[in-house]
Amino acid sequence: MIARTLLLACACGMLLAQSPAVKLPPFTKKNLPNGATLIVIEKPDVPLVTLRAIFRGGGEAVPPAQAGLAPITAELLRRGTASMTADQINEKLDSLGANLSAFAGPGATFISMEYMKRNQDPSLALFEEILLKPSFPEAEFTKLRAQAVDRAKSAKDNPGQAINLYWPPFFFPAGHPYHAPLSGDELTLASLTRDQVLAYHKGNFTGRNLILIASGDLAASTLGPRLEKLASALPAGVAHKPPQAPPVKFASPRLLLLDKPDATQTYFMIGWPGLSRTDPDRTAVQVVNTLFGGRFTSMLNDELRVNSGLTYGARSRFDEDRLPGSVAISTYTKTEATVQAIDIALGLLAKLRDQGLTAEQLTSARNYIKGRFPTEELETADQLAGVLGEMELFALNKGEIDDYFSRIDALTLDQVNAAARKWYRNDNLQFLLIGPAAKIQEQVKKYAPQMKVQAITEPGLKTPAFN
Amino acid sequence: MQRLLWPLLLLCALLPAQQLQVSEHTLSNGMKVLIHPDRDVPNVALYFFYKIGSRNERPGTTGISHYFEHMMFNGAKKYGPKQFDIQMEKAGGSNNAYTNRDITAYTDWFPKSALELMFDMEADRIRDLAFDPKIVESERGVVYSERRMSVDNNPFGALYEQVNAAAFTAHPYGWPVIGWASDIEAWTMDDLKAHFKMGYAPNNCVMVVTGDVAESEILALAKKYIEPIPSQPPPPAIRTKEPPQLGERRITVKRPAALPLLLISYHVPETRHADGPALELLEAILSSGRSSRLYSRMVDKDQLVLGINAGTQLALEPSQFLFSMQVRSGVDPLKAESALYDELSKLAAAPIAAAELEKAKTQKLADFYRSLKTISGKANLIGQYEVFFGDHKKLATVAGELEKVTAADIQRVAGQYFKETNRTVGTLIPAKGGAQ
Repeated sequence: MIARTLLLACACGMLLAQSPAVKLPPFTKKNLPNGATLIVIEKPDVPLVTLRAIFRGGGEAVPPAQAGLAPITAELLRRGTASMTADQINEKLDSLGANLSAFAGPGATFISMEYMKRNQDPSLALFEEILLKPSFPEAEFTKLRAQAVDRAKSAKDNPGQAINLYWPPFFFPAGHPYHAPLSGDELTLASLTRDQVLAYHKGNFTGRNLILIASGDLAASTLGPRLEKLASALPAGVAHKPPQAPPVKFASPRLLLLDKPDATQTYFMIGWPGLSRTDPDRTAVQVVNTLFGGRFTSMLNDELRVNSGLTYGARSRFDEDRLPGSVAISTYTKTEATVQAIDIALGLLAKLRDQGLTAEQLTSARNYIKGRFPTEELETADQLAGVLGEMELFALNKGEIDDYFSRIDALTLDQVNAAARKWYRNDNLQFLLIGPAAKIQEQVKKYAPQMKVQAITEPGLKTPAFN
Repeated sequence: MQRLLWPLLLLCALLPAQQLQVSEHTLSNGMKVLIHPDRDVPNVALYFFYKIGSRNERPGTTGISHYFEHMMFNGAKKYGPKQFDIQMEKAGGSNNAYTNRDITAYTDWFPKSALELMFDMEADRIRDLAFDPKIVESERGVVYSERRMSVDNNPFGALYEQVNAAAFTAHPYGWPVIGWASDIEAWTMDDLKAHFKMGYAPNNCVMVVTGDVAESEILALAKKYIEPIPSQPPPPAIRTKEPPQLGERRITVKRPAALPLLLISYHVPETRHADGPALELLEAILSSGRSSRLYSRMVDKDQLVLGINAGTQLALEPSQFLFSMQVRSGVDPLKAESALYDELSKLAAAPIAAAELEKAKTQKLADFYRSLKTISGKANLIGQYEVFFGDHKKLATVAGELEKVTAADIQRVAGQYFKETNRTVGTLIPAKGGAQ
């Protein structure tokens, strides 16, 4: 164990001595006759292996009235197969020391298993069973649906969590593929049927939609052919057709205040239209966002936390999905400081646009992004599986990683400031607040003539219509 | 965000001897230095574990250890206000810190090129921290906001604080790590200075370095920057022992919420106690994975709760085994409670099957591997073993310790600790205003 690590380390050290850049380790990729893609990468430092099956589709492949169907379907894969009950699957997984997780994003569903190298054969057999032979037992479906409904209700007890759930329905207009909440709400979840699950599974969990990745302490030469057989067993089916939508635009500012009378702080998000994962400005926006609200010394955190003590943390983030999403500021502060904190955030947004960033800031952001990159993206087998999956989903090549440092270094201050002005807008801003309406409603009206107040206890995640 | 409060409800893991090679050194001022080179990525994790936490506080200054954790980033002599973060991020690094009942830990991650800068800045703040009254006030607001977020506006946080306060009647583990709101408002500059003097001495700290480093360069930097800092008397020993509990304690919290919460605490010994390995395995038997006894019965079969967690915390003194669960809508929390007691009494009534014990051991081994994936995971593990087990070398022997645990041990330990007179029960009862 230790010896192998040291050997790897030496090779790695020499590579780095030649070039400070960070590269993706070698991997193999194969396109299979049924349309599936298989990627295998060796990362032998810990005796664990990550298997990840990614199916294109995810939340955007679900009709809005069935919001929540994607994660429900993914979760049901492990709750019964042709030859195993949910109990038997659980017992097997735990006895092997393996983990299984299912997650649905806007554009894809991710089924991941992490197993111990010494248990490779039974782990592979179990993964195959789950992937190829799920039976979606009626009783398990009914049980899961009831659990999901309860979970959706309780999510609103935690305003920090609730605000993120309300954001997509508030920000994206009805009809947009990202409008409906991915995990559903208690109303849509309660209406789901097993037939919908079967139809969704049949349509989406197909060879043409599959990207299968293995990463970790494995031998590509022997595991590769076995996984090829596994992936090839899925019917080719129909390829997911990603829905299109016009870019999100707002003709005026809007403000939605979700009333939570017992809250002692106000949680808020301020957002505007952003970019897609494949936008050519993405690298520049990463730099801008790092400086505006992406790290501890960022403009937002420095002013709202460090200088004024108004919050435990303030940040900005941007979506990185197939279709353009939002850029948003988010933080929270004690009720009586609500307006003060929002004004500070808006002031910083104006400052970013008007004054721009300095060469010194650009250097610092470059170093910060590059300094974190190896431990964020390339240190573990599951990180590598994530990187490779993203490359495949968004049709990127390995230059995405291998040229990343040179892309960051090539950015000029003018380019970065142009990106700041283009992507950090301050017209027609969209405000979402959770707090005690009786105490803040009158003061926050000034941000948007179109203000709506809605009780957070209102069932579901529906947001009111604005004119 | 950074500098999070929440203590690691961390499992000590099962640890094959050959896994981690750590070299150990003690500086002349008493600071222990543990080094584990790993050149998988060109980065370094530099961790400092100060053996001071909320147990070293007193009524009136509760929360000051955690507050101090924030203050350590607010300027010293050479590197003034904000400079620690500014210089660090500019050099490609980032940091966090955490506080629990026993320790305050500072965690630095950075590219190798920033190594000397980090030693210089860490030494500066240990030796010459500044106490600017204006910054003290501003940081008080930050901590108060953190409290609002993690306790006052968080149903689980609110219940946990109350259960904990009821479970301990005498020992300092009973007050919240983040501090009572009135103490956050009231602590003084003198309190802060006294706390710094008490806890932030090199001889009260363990340094762990993992990543792209050579032992010799770390030792050279430690000698240059850290060794000249004089040692000081360590924090006084905690005298108070929690008296034995004489009967069940029950508390309720009423607040707007969609679902009830249930939190049940049993007193158990400190982490390094001889019953530690059996308690570790009980954690797995009860709630690791969906085939665990509690998940299988309470979440799945009987559908009483939405999820359940069980386990101990790392602790230098006798602590707790906690069960937390969110009760399903329409279910009487008492019903969930009695299902839990039923499962616990089964463990005490008969030895578990060999396969179930084996499963728990396998799960712990897999958890251990998972904690070795990153240089930061390894730094944390090495430091925790040094502090909570008394010696990082126990990383090599705990495997055997867990292997030795028998079904009879599990039965005995379950019977000894999971009993009615030893428990504190907290229920969060939803008041009007939560989603129904």
